[in-house]
Amino acid sequence: MTTTARTDPHARSNFWKWFDAFRRAPGMWAYSLNRLSAIGLTVYLFLHLVVLRTLADGPQAYDDFVALVKSPVFVFGELVVVIGGVYHGLNGLRVALTAFGIGVPYQKHMFYAVLIITAVVSLVFGIHMFTA
Amino acid sequence: MAEKWTVTFLINRQKDGVEPHFESFQLEVNPDEYVLDAIERVWAFHDRSLLFRHACHHSTCGACGMRVNGVEKLTCITTIRSVTSDGGTVKVEPLRNFPVVGDLVVDMTRLYARMEMVKAPSVIPLDEAPKPDTSVFDIKPDHDAPDDMIRLVDCIECGMCVSACPVPLTTPEYLGPAVLAGAQHQGLEKNPSLLELVDGPNGVWRCHSAFECTAVCPSNVEPGWRIMDLRKQLVKKRFQRLFGRGG
Amino acid sequence: MLERSTAPKSGENTWLWLLKIISGVLVIVLLFVHLVVNHLVPSEGLLSYEEVIAYVTTPGIALMEMTFLVVVVSHSLIGLRSIILDLNPSPGLLRVVNWVLAIIGVAAVVYGIWLMQMLVAQAA
Repeated sequence: MTTTARTDPHARSNFWKWFDAFRRAPGMWAYSLNRLSAIGLTVYLFLHLVVLRTLADGPQAYDDFVALVKSPVFVFGELVVVIGGVYHGLNGLRVALTAFGIGVPYQKHMFYAVLIITAVVSLVFGIHMFTA
Repeated sequence: MAEKWTVTFLINRQKDGVEPHFESFQLEVNPDEYVLDAIERVWAFHDRSLLFRHACHHSTCGACGMRVNGVEKLTCITTIRSVTSDGGTVKVEPLRNFPVVGDLVVDMTRLYARMEMVKAPSVIPLDEAPKPDTSVFDIKPDHDAPDDMIRLVDCIECGMCVSACPVPLTTPEYLGPAVLAGAQHQGLEKNPSLLELVDGPNGVWRCHSAFECTAVCPSNVEPGWRIMDLRKQLVKKRFQRLFGRGG
Repeated sequence: MLERSTAPKSGENTWLWLLKIISGVLVIVLLFVHLVVNHLVPSEGLLSYEEVIAYVTTPGIALMEMTFLVVVVSHSLIGLRSIILDLNPSPGLLRVVNWVLAIIGVAAVVYGIWLMQMLVAQAA
């Protein structure tokens, strides 16, 4: 019995489908973006911890590092982290609430609210970060 | 005079020894007919080797679940009008997350076996199977009805929820929304042996709250909500055990 | 066709899942505090070495930051574990993964404590 990778439940490569939410319901988008932002934020977390080590190397090392992160590429990177973090946190709240049976019939509405708040906060942060 | 559309159906074909591929069939259809009608017409007049399942044609048997343009649908109640336009295309594929037997037919053994395993009921008392607390789902209890009145459980075991769920994509051992909903219907109180199953490594904790199951369910089972309800029950039990009620 | 496996009961379980949710909520709270006292309170937003030293010696800051570190690392690694679980590792591999994640978690917290006390010492 030949089976395709697409429908074969045993295909590990199906994990790319975790991030395939096209034409699916809002909940699938929520999950996809949550997983994506989780991975991104984890990478950021450990990077953040590592670069803080420059503090231990004295004022000069830290000042060099600060000069580096003021460059536009890093500022943009930080904005991406902020967007990911805000989304992940807000959607996380949605997951936490529905997981305890609170507001399950409104899970779609909650997702839209999460998107709107994320967009607003991202805009505010974006403007602030690039005009400060 | 009934409206007539020209629609191209891209149907998944695969058999033993034949790699999956799409075959195109152009049909003149009445857009208010159903996708299943079109598939039957392809079988009847174009290719008798097409494999597909169908039975009741009115959304109670669960046999005709397929992916239409990538989304799970019960093809006997999905009008052609709702998935395409005149001159458009309709892609038809088998359900995900089940082994494909051929063309549009998948092997549902695992699902049925698991429904047996949790002894998913087919009938429940009228006032049981609690629904989420919103007026849309209120079943106004008929106070004149006899106490032993029962109703059919909503689940038609079509497997669409399993297909839509992202977890079985990589984890076939996950019990899945239909089975967990069945367990919730059965009731942990009535059947404590279910505890080990739903609380186990492939039970309710594997759910990622995508709610795709609820979105595609053609039958108001609300599996997403039922999984959350099971979680609530399990957490309550854990805390009760921790803080003394029963030790 | 019972699928009750005799493998050890690893995999997602109630307590880890609860911990993920609770730590998640705590992260939201502590992250907010962390960002406010890091960037809004100090005049340079902690972008100068002197400010950092003054910051870490402020009473309560060390405790807040270390708590934040523990909570956020826990949440991140438990979450990572869920993602790995979805890839269906064998029980043996899962045991290895559990250990590796635990070691990374402890290491991250130890590192944080070390860094914090190093900076506090420099202020003296």
